[in-house]
Amino acid sequence: MSDSSNMIEIRNLHKSYGDIEVIKGVDLNVKQGEVVVILGPSGSGKSTVLRCINRLEEITSGTIVVDGFDLYAKETDINYVRSEAGMVFQQFNLFPHLSVLQNITIGLIKVRKMDKAEADKIALSLLDKVGLPDKATAYPDQLSGGQKQRVAIARSLAMNPKVILFDEPTSALDPELVGEVLDVMKNLADEGMTMVVVTHEMGFAREVADRVIFIADGVIQEEAAPDEFFSNPKHPRLKDFLGKL
Amino acid sequence: MAFQFKPAVMVETLPLLTEGIELTIYITLLGLVFGFMIGTVAGLGRLSQNKFNRSISSIYIEIIRGTPMIVQALFLYFGVPLATGVRINPITAGIITIAVNSGAYIAEIVRGAVQSIDKGQFEAGRSIGLTRRQTMISIIWPQAFRRMIPPLGNQFIISLKDTSLLTVIGVAELTRSGQEIVAVNFRSFEVYLTVAIVYLCMTLSIAKALRWYEKKLMARSHR
Ligand SMILES: Nc1ncnc2c1ncn2[C@@H]1O[C@H](COP(=O)(O)OP(=O)(O)OP(=O)(O)O)[C@@H](O)[C@H]1O
Ligand SMILES: [Mg+2]
Repeated sequence: MSDSSNMIEIRNLHKSYGDIEVIKGVDLNVKQGEVVVILGPSGSGKSTVLRCINRLEEITSGTIVVDGFDLYAKETDINYVRSEAGMVFQQFNLFPHLSVLQNITIGLIKVRKMDKAEADKIALSLLDKVGLPDKATAYPDQLSGGQKQRVAIARSLAMNPKVILFDEPTSALDPELVGEVLDVMKNLADEGMTMVVVTHEMGFAREVADRVIFIADGVIQEEAAPDEFFSNPKHPRLKDFLGKL
Repeated sequence: MAFQFKPAVMVETLPLLTEGIELTIYITLLGLVFGFMIGTVAGLGRLSQNKFNRSISSIYIEIIRGTPMIVQALFLYFGVPLATGVRINPITAGIITIAVNSGAYIAEIVRGAVQSIDKGQFEAGRSIGLTRRQTMISIIWPQAFRRMIPPLGNQFIISLKDTSLLTVIGVAELTRSGQEIVAVNFRSFEVYLTVAIVYLCMTLSIAKALRWYEKKLMARSHR
């Protein structure tokens, strides 16, 4: 059933690597403006689901619709849809040979065909937004991890995406740098950005998420609003998972 | 008759080598320019998603790396004209030999450098909507190119020295010029010593130039 308030609709998603099935039938809707946090043990398929939503992987079967576009349909312009869904990686993946400003403008210039002056203006305002107004001319290796991740967020925001996918955005950071990145994400959520976040930051999940999802063994085992999710976990694997934290 | 080292012969020899030196530089430069183009195409071909491109590139690389350059030069200069009826002059044959030969090694350098770039770079490029091609050109290649410079320098030096093998097809490059002088004055010690020193100066210059270029690239992006 297609519902136009859904930004993402995943139906019966299956994904195998060779003979090994890692996603075994996932159904998930994400509404416009919703923040969904995905939890789950290592190797359960969290990253794989995100990567399928950005079509960084080919899926084995099922459908994924993002903003009304069937991602895996032949007629879909995948480059266009990709730029509509931003992705923030655990390892930042900034372009080391480009300045901070160029990291943010390259998509605007090459994909959106914007002229440089206009792209620079947008980039500078985004740097302001992520709290790095004075880093435009710096290069990635001159930044701390937290600063890198904030630039990466600005880079994906530049494309004015309909949704941003975060894959453990703070896991590679020193503990004292986690907060600055989560703050930026919190602000985005407050502004109504649709977000799917894989994270181990339970505080963020409780405070910011509209819904929390627990994935284990390639299927969604439980999903609930954060209060319910954390105070009344039902699935034994989830109880076990939360107990270990 | 005891051997007597005559430094003066070396001083006399040097100007006689000028044309040979020029030809060596000319063949090396042109050969490497074309070799770089061939190597880039073949190196990227090996990484292509298209199976045909991958096989063609691999076959080329294996054949060239698996046979001596001297045989490649003889085959191209003496063998190919017999089959095609088209004669080429030795210098052209020399340039083609250097290009095709260095191209195979440069292809492996290109492939290795591109493969050494973190997969996340490619994904980040794709995730902001760049096409495969745009990601390759704007994200992967500039980073890979930087990593290629040291091994490329090595290959440039090898190719420069390999031009001496072109004596077998009668190219009047540096080594050949030396041989011709020795045929007249019989002073092989002084003449070949001079020739060796000239090669050394050229290879050291390449090494130095590339180090300078590498530093310059670094300085541009990591002040
Ligand atoms: N390219 C690949 N080839 C083969 N197997 C893969 C590949 N990528 C992931 N897998 C496997 O798929 C499963 C799910 O991986 P995925 O990265 O989605 O897990 P995850 O939940 O994100 O784990 P983590 O918390 O460690 O990041 C794992 O068992 C992993 O080994
Ligand atoms: Mg993961």
